[in-house]
Amino acid sequence: MTRAFAHLHVASAFSLRYGTAFPAALVRRAAEHGMDTLALTDRDGLYGAIKHVIACHERGVRPVAGVDLALGESSVPDDLFGGGLPSGHRTGHGHRAGHGRGTAAEPARVVVLARSHGWAALCRLVTAAHHAGERGEPRVTPGMVAEHATGPDGEPRLTVLLGPRSGVGRAVAERRDDQARALLAAWRAVVPDLVVEVSDLYGYRDANTAARMIGLADSMGVPVVLTNAVRYLDAADHQVGNVLDAARKLVPLDGRHLDDPTAHAYLKDGAEMARVAARICGGDPGRAGRLLAETRRVADRCVLDPVEIVPLLEPERPRLHLPEVGEDPVPLLRRRCEEGLARRGLDRSAEARDRLAAELGIIERKRLSGYFTAVVGITDMIRAMGVRCAIRGSGAGSLVNYLIGIGEVNPLEHGLLMERFLSEGRKGLPDIDIDVESARRLDCYRAILDRYGEDRVACVSMMETYRARSAIRDVGAAMGLPPHEIDVIAKAFPQVRARQIRAALSDLPELRDSGLNDRSLETVFRLAERLDGLPRHIALHPCGVLIGNSTLRDRTPVERSLLEFPMSQFDKDDVEEAGLLKLDVLGVRMQSALAYAIQEVERVENRKIDLDAVPRDDTDTYDMIRLSRTIGCFQIESPGQRELVAKLEPRTMHDLIVDISLFRPGPVNSDMVTPYLETRHGFREPRYPHESLREALTETNGVVVFHEQVMKVIDVMTGSGLSEADRARRALGTPEGRAAVRAWFVPLARENGYAPDVVDQAWKVLDAFGGFGFCKAHAAAFALPTYQSAWLKRHHTAAFLAGVLTHDPGMYPSRVILDEARRCGVDVLPLDVNRSGKTWLVERTEPAEENPGGYGRGYGLRVPFSAVRGVSEAEVDRMVAGRPYTSLADFWERARPSRPVAERIVEVGGFDALHGLRPGEPRWRPGRLTRRDLIAQVGALDRGSPAGAEGQLPMGFTEHVAPGELPEMTEAEAVEAELEILGMDVSRHVMDFYRDLLDALGVTRARDLLRQRNGAEILVAGVKVATQTPAVRSGQRVIFTTVDDSTGPIDLTFFESVQAHTAATVFGSWLLAARGVVRRTGGRAVSLRAVHCWNLADLDRVWRTEGLDAVRAVISEVPAPGAGVGGRPIEYGNGFRVSPYSDNGAPPAAREGRFLGHPGEPQRRLWHASSGSSGPSPG
Amino acid sequence: MSRLYGDPIEVWVRDGHPAQFVWRDRLYTVREIQDHWVVAREWWKTSDADPGERRFWRVGAAAGKEVGTYELRFDTASGGWLLLRAWD
Repeated sequence: MTRAFAHLHVASAFSLRYGTAFPAALVRRAAEHGMDTLALTDRDGLYGAIKHVIACHERGVRPVAGVDLALGESSVPDDLFGGGLPSGHRTGHGHRAGHGRGTAAEPARVVVLARSHGWAALCRLVTAAHHAGERGEPRVTPGMVAEHATGPDGEPRLTVLLGPRSGVGRAVAERRDDQARALLAAWRAVVPDLVVEVSDLYGYRDANTAARMIGLADSMGVPVVLTNAVRYLDAADHQVGNVLDAARKLVPLDGRHLDDPTAHAYLKDGAEMARVAARICGGDPGRAGRLLAETRRVADRCVLDPVEIVPLLEPERPRLHLPEVGEDPVPLLRRRCEEGLARRGLDRSAEARDRLAAELGIIERKRLSGYFTAVVGITDMIRAMGVRCAIRGSGAGSLVNYLIGIGEVNPLEHGLLMERFLSEGRKGLPDIDIDVESARRLDCYRAILDRYGEDRVACVSMMETYRARSAIRDVGAAMGLPPHEIDVIAKAFPQVRARQIRAALSDLPELRDSGLNDRSLETVFRLAERLDGLPRHIALHPCGVLIGNSTLRDRTPVERSLLEFPMSQFDKDDVEEAGLLKLDVLGVRMQSALAYAIQEVERVENRKIDLDAVPRDDTDTYDMIRLSRTIGCFQIESPGQRELVAKLEPRTMHDLIVDISLFRPGPVNSDMVTPYLETRHGFREPRYPHESLREALTETNGVVVFHEQVMKVIDVMTGSGLSEADRARRALGTPEGRAAVRAWFVPLARENGYAPDVVDQAWKVLDAFGGFGFCKAHAAAFALPTYQSAWLKRHHTAAFLAGVLTHDPGMYPSRVILDEARRCGVDVLPLDVNRSGKTWLVERTEPAEENPGGYGRGYGLRVPFSAVRGVSEAEVDRMVAGRPYTSLADFWERARPSRPVAERIVEVGGFDALHGLRPGEPRWRPGRLTRRDLIAQVGALDRGSPAGAEGQLPMGFTEHVAPGELPEMTEAEAVEAELEILGMDVSRHVMDFYRDLLDALGVTRARDLLRQRNGAEILVAGVKVATQTPAVRSGQRVIFTTVDDSTGPIDLTFFESVQAHTAATVFGSWLLAARGVVRRTGGRAVSLRAVHCWNLADLDRVWRTEGLDAVRAVISEVPAPGAGVGGRPIEYGNGFRVSPYSDNGAPPAAREGRFLGHPGEPQRRLWHASSGSSGPSPG
Repeated sequence: MSRLYGDPIEVWVRDGHPAQFVWRDRLYTVREIQDHWVVAREWWKTSDADPGERRFWRVGAAAGKEVGTYELRFDTASGGWLLLRAWD
């Protein structure tokens, strides 16, 4: 063979739930096979195309791009094009039908390749296919393909392959030769570049069908190519393919549902393909040779120019695709900056002018003036809509952004550097990130769409991939396990990668003893691991918006998101490589919470607050922060941060910037926190390697905290300039990078006259810092809402917590925020049909007695209708609109709730005030109306009102309630109902019910912790608030748990040495009792090193049935020694080791602290569980 | 008409294809490969990690003068051959 074979039909993992190999792996294999051309033809989209083109470019393989599309309803009579459902023909004697592949109710498919200048046509065809089909099920008709197949002058742009899965292929396989001929003729009439594709996967009759397709094509003069319909890298991936087939079709694994009965659809080498050709052509070497040559010819005319599709492959002068701004952007941007200097009062500052000139120099050399002009147009528009909008990230370091009004942070004031954001050395477009109110994010998207038009705007997408839980779900379903079992098994795992499943089973004590190690599940886990990282479905990226010009749809295929937004099939990396302008518009819940709080203050107090104008030095606010009373506040509410703020004692905005920067895995693990705190509190003198570095390091007492400081140190000592310094800083992240930087830095610094020991010392600082630390511009942008949230909490506590409860910005579930409200002296007011609103409302109440930290006395928070489980938005609107109500019947009549919702409202006391009920009082007397009576009345009302006929019965009938027929709910029942229905304990704290047991055992309460001596071993108990397994320095998996006993939070630390006997209880219980050793961590901070723990509900049961001595026996039992946590720590370049089960790198989505499989326990989210937390184990 | 047998047989392979086989004490020589296909085993029904595949051949073969059609099956996991079917 003279020239290498080219695969023209290849599905990668981006063929969702179909393909198994990633584009880069396929390209590498093709290169290893000596192939110089490779196509990627994923199903339904071009999701992997950019990655394919880049991989090809790197390996010197010529890229071909195409798509494998399903045919939809055809308007051609008699289903001439073979769309729709084929006849499920099967052979009579037990062989699965190898012909007519994928015949199980799947539509016919064609492969469409872009010819050498056909990329735009391919993008537009894919967009049209998604527009035509249902969401996620794109369809084309031959007419649509034909429309895109030629250019304006009739020149062919697309090549269409009709293979075994096309209507033609199926007709041939089923020996409907006339129909096959007619179909092929019909296609040929509308598509100029049409070829027949044959393949032979060694299935029953494959070769025979292929041979007859060749015969048909030859007789009609249509060229024929050979493919292998690739979906695997290796034959061994076949089982994964089977599982994906079952998962895609939502059926259990069965021979009937498989697309490929053989394992041959892998990327075969040229020799193997030559054998396939010979097999098909039945020993006619001439015909086989022509088949391979024709395949080559088609490949040659479809080769794409990588740089045309991925402009950033040409880093020097990439062709960027920026929006049109209507005039020359260079003078436009200069003019706006000039105006900004005057507006910001900087027109006389030489520093500002010099900085501006330098920034504009870089911007204009990189031809990015149009980019800044476009972004400011958008931020102006968002602010004009009255939406809170703030700049985030490194963009805050640019003076241009400040001057033209994209952001409100003055970089000169905080010593922020432009080069961290945009420098000569950085390729591509800089990122400008905008935070807006989360509740208005989609409004902002719509406004951008309206302004630029659908053709020029698209949201960025992202691929959700298989992780442990999702992989177990899909494999479990394919293997036919019952759904509830699958659910329990999946949730028992922490949020780890799918490939860690079996390792987690043996490493983690809570799973080791769970019964999941059963052999019968072995296959499920083995296969679930094989799905690791495969794309599962496409979703809207949380913030990326593409803004292009009229050619946008020529450069990216666009489909519709769940919310009907146009969405690019490219992810954020792809769009950057493709040279498209992306703006990150992130919805931030805290911004919505702040806006809501301000609105409540205005409603209740008739006072307008200008949050941005509030002084930033309020002593009361900082005092509250220093007392760790920060639950609900932005960035500083987690247990770890509460400990850090207590030690750091912030007094200024700058302190908050440092605090936020220090609370990152990097600084915590390179142990920057201790030296900083020591110098801050004067235990140690600040040290500077050299006087010339004092300026850069003085703000943090000689400790390197910020990226900007690293850049300054490098710049000062080498004189390299800040752009070069930023490049060096980036390289510090890897050991190789650090070695290279050292080899460059040390001689250069010596040349500049620094003594060897100074250079040595400076290098040690840079080396320890590694690639960690934090961008000060990010921290400065974060610190502002942090302070603002704390200020609101201190001075308008109830309104602020109403905002937090309504918009849920933080890590804690509602019941924890309610506990905090109570501790702040805010009254928690029950649901009341005449007072509750759609969201949490503030009410004035009688001030309770004075208590320290009672910032919110004299105000209450009213539980809203929307908190009721299962209530619909329309119901809430009717309930609010119908107030006031005179009776339950009146409410039923006018608010028209569903029966279960009405019952739930009664159960949690929504009618107590209206009907004068007082549940939970010590002695309920028969004859008094009760909640249970009202529930019975809901039933009567429901039976009395026939569907569709409102108000048919006379009021007198439904008004009648026989009082006191049913006993009232007890306090415990009322709280149980609140947890079940509202997800929070409103009337009393859950722990109140355990007070007697706690007293009997001598359990220490949170408010008394500070009085305990260091090292004392004590008992504590409480409701679990949060579990986290953050990355810590030792490389252990450490479980941090916070419980709350109604007097305050208690932080418990479980080290690996005790996890063998505690991990399952910690993750699996809601009410915890624990024994721990007191550890004083700061002036006002105490945490406990846990030794043992128990489920408090179990102890309570023992107490009630067997008495106190039995409980004492349980808690004094010495745990059997067990193995701790296994798994090799992940080691980072700077020697920083973390447990593979810590929270690093996992998605932040895991917030379900749901309790399953324990009937009677609350089912709603009651505590925060970080991604490294396991769920309750089954059995 | 074909008949089902399922008898274990001994087979000699040349160039990846069956060339001769012994069935019921007679030696057959393969004259022609009429068809060849493979079927992956339904691995999810077994406890084996990889139960392999079954390879089928339909061949024209003769023990004497008369050429008949036979279907042979090779199981990669067990390494055994069966004569599945024969046509009169």
